[in-house]
Amino acid sequence: MSVLNKTAAVIVTFNRSEKLMKVLDALAAQTMRPDIVLVVNNASTDDTAEMVEARAKTDPSIRHLKLPSNVGGAGGFHAGMKAAYQMGAQYFWISDDDAYPEPDAIERLYSALNEFQSQNEWRPSFACSRVEWIDGSLCEMNCPRTVWDWARFVQPDKPWALVDSCSFVSVMIPRWAVAEHGLPIADYFIWFDDAEYTRRIARSYPGIFVPESRVVHDTPDNRGVNFGLVDEKSLWKFKYGARNETSFRRREGGLMNVLAYAYGVRNQMRANDVPHRLRREVYGSIIKGLSFRPKIEQAE
Amino acid sequence: MSKTASLAASSYIESQILEFRAIYERIFTTQHLRYIVELGINAVWSKPEVIEGVYIPGPQDLGPQFLGTIERPGLREDSPEVTIRISIPRPPLPSETKQTDAPWRPQARLGRLFAASPMAYEYIRFQAEMRRKRHAGRRNRMTAISFNKGADLLPDAQRPETTQRPAALIGMHWLETGGAEKLGFDTIRWALESGLRVFVVASVPSLQRYADRLPDHPDVTFIRLDRWLPHHLWARFVEKLVLQENIALVHNHHCIPFYELLPLLRSRMPWVKTIDSTHIVEHADGGYPRISGVWSNYLDVQHVISGELVDYMQGQFNAPPSKVVLGRMLDRKDGQIPMPDLRLQAGQKTLHVAFVGRMYYQKRPVVVVETLRALDVWAKKNNVAFSATMVGEGPFEHAVTRLLRRYGLGSKVAQLPGNTDVPALLEQSDILILPSNNEGLALVCYEAITHGCIPISSRVGSQDELLPDDLLVPAQPYQGVRQTVFAIDRMFNDNSFLQRQKDGIRAKWQKLSADPTAEEVLKPIYRAAVEDALGD
Repeated sequence: MSVLNKTAAVIVTFNRSEKLMKVLDALAAQTMRPDIVLVVNNASTDDTAEMVEARAKTDPSIRHLKLPSNVGGAGGFHAGMKAAYQMGAQYFWISDDDAYPEPDAIERLYSALNEFQSQNEWRPSFACSRVEWIDGSLCEMNCPRTVWDWARFVQPDKPWALVDSCSFVSVMIPRWAVAEHGLPIADYFIWFDDAEYTRRIARSYPGIFVPESRVVHDTPDNRGVNFGLVDEKSLWKFKYGARNETSFRRREGGLMNVLAYAYGVRNQMRANDVPHRLRREVYGSIIKGLSFRPKIEQAE
Repeated sequence: MSKTASLAASSYIESQILEFRAIYERIFTTQHLRYIVELGINAVWSKPEVIEGVYIPGPQDLGPQFLGTIERPGLREDSPEVTIRISIPRPPLPSETKQTDAPWRPQARLGRLFAASPMAYEYIRFQAEMRRKRHAGRRNRMTAISFNKGADLLPDAQRPETTQRPAALIGMHWLETGGAEKLGFDTIRWALESGLRVFVVASVPSLQRYADRLPDHPDVTFIRLDRWLPHHLWARFVEKLVLQENIALVHNHHCIPFYELLPLLRSRMPWVKTIDSTHIVEHADGGYPRISGVWSNYLDVQHVISGELVDYMQGQFNAPPSKVVLGRMLDRKDGQIPMPDLRLQAGQKTLHVAFVGRMYYQKRPVVVVETLRALDVWAKKNNVAFSATMVGEGPFEHAVTRLLRRYGLGSKVAQLPGNTDVPALLEQSDILILPSNNEGLALVCYEAITHGCIPISSRVGSQDELLPDDLLVPAQPYQGVRQTVFAIDRMFNDNSFLQRQKDGIRAKWQKLSADPTAEEVLKPIYRAAVEDALGD
């Protein structure tokens, strides 16, 4: 119901003040400005705090949520959504500190969510943007996952495919979904928190992909999430990803589902000749994931 | 920015506000009303809270769902304040329009038992129901509440002068599918035909999916008390409605708050005729007939649909015979109820079985599936082409679909929604099965016989008034399945047995047809109420 439309943007940041300011600039230029811009500062050690506080003096919509320690992206989104929920937001626009929304990105998401419900009676559990890399190509790591009947309501002028999973880069989530399904899992720390959360809320009804809402994701390179890409530098993230996805699959699909996942990871690493030492580390994380059962916290 | 959705939402909100204001402003005509309005998170109930006296808003009133406030000034500056905290239910989702109850699941501790043997699970549940039934009488009142009209020394309240045409107030359980509801809809039509205006209310909050089946007539008004008004305020609303709208008659179809209104009507508005209609003595606590029996001294007429209930009211509650009226749920067209022509022939090589009922535990959907499974085995042995159709929606729908797949019956048993053309289905069916925990006199059995289909039912309620002994099977799940297959087997292989059943059904049908129909007993009461009101 669009009669209540208090919107909160939740941006999680860590030591990227320059990019964060560009995000705040983009938010200030939105055709539908969020009522609250909640910057969740993951205990940054650069000048993020000073920059945000200076900006907040001239922009009353900005709130600065300083976390005492770095709890990862997952912990940051958890804390940010929890705070925004308590502030009474009806819509949560969730994004990274290096993703710049086009001026109408938020309005398009909001309109699509409401028009979809108005026309089809179903309530999408989220609406996500088309995420582009800095050269205008699709950002590999932010491609949403469609459901089998994704084309059910697609129209030439409303090309909103049904999706059940997306990243936390420009996604709008209505309050009812948070009230029914709780908050993202903070204990994941990083990786797979967004996929787990959107799949969880999509149990009520899938989300929609809104290609006319666009954001630019300013990452150093445009790489997808593939275990064939594991190297020394990125190993730590892949280990979190493997543990978290294993935990999710164990919860939702049981041991057979975990085995199928492990088999897929193995094939990806073999096909790309990932060194055996790194492979062993990833397998270790999968084993850890079997007994990793983080609690899902409800919003209050 | 697009406003399409906003406009649709605003117009919905405005229509809802008009609905609840009409209700509260009828009750509180002079007071200063303050509405604190929220947007609800469910599609059915408005969670109303009424505070009489001064109320200071707190943060709980201004939460995320807060929409705003509405003031309706009182008649005087010092009129007492009434605050109504209310939430507007959101529009229902398509899944809710189809089915509001969550899909049924076996009790957590017995989940594995159900997976291993659905019938064993059913048997345990059946035993638990029987146990509850045995103990029911000990907990509930089983005598009529006394009613003293008062001494002649003091005058009775008198019907006020009015220019309004007389009206009936009909209380329904809800406007959803069901036999009692079908009678409710019929009585609305009969009341209109008798010259009454009709106000309809329902006691159970729901989407009231059958509201669009109310007669499209300016004299019919459906008031959504179920959505907007807490039960404890119903008496105050009805008191105003009776006086303002010249209500001459209140007819109760399983609407609990209406029983609680009876002392008010008897003491302050004694000219209002009070009627109720009841159908089933239910297992757990006797159900509506017990409640009706308890209030029988406050009712002018207790309409029942079976002989069993006549005996129950008179025997258990000492209701006077003149008050308890039997009116069958049969339609007499042109003064005749046609004798059924039952189609099944011994030795035929096809068998189509139908089940029509809401997919709730009462109708034992799991036993239906097990019966169909046993009939499939029987049909294979007897070289009979077997097929079946299950009509109905409800929480058991998913469990039924899974069981049918598990038993390999997916291609032989069609599952159809509740709005299926049931008469057409019964015209093509040989047998209707009705396993049930409790029934009055199941309407679908009447329908089946009318369309030439032989019913086989659990031996519950008053089903024995319609069906011969051999077509009544035990309610116990294992025995019920066995006996159903046995009865069908005999009808297929023993022509004299089949003829006896057909003759038995016709004999019972003839006996029932001799009884008055509900229309024949209720319409004269409605007409008398109109004449009384106009005569006064």
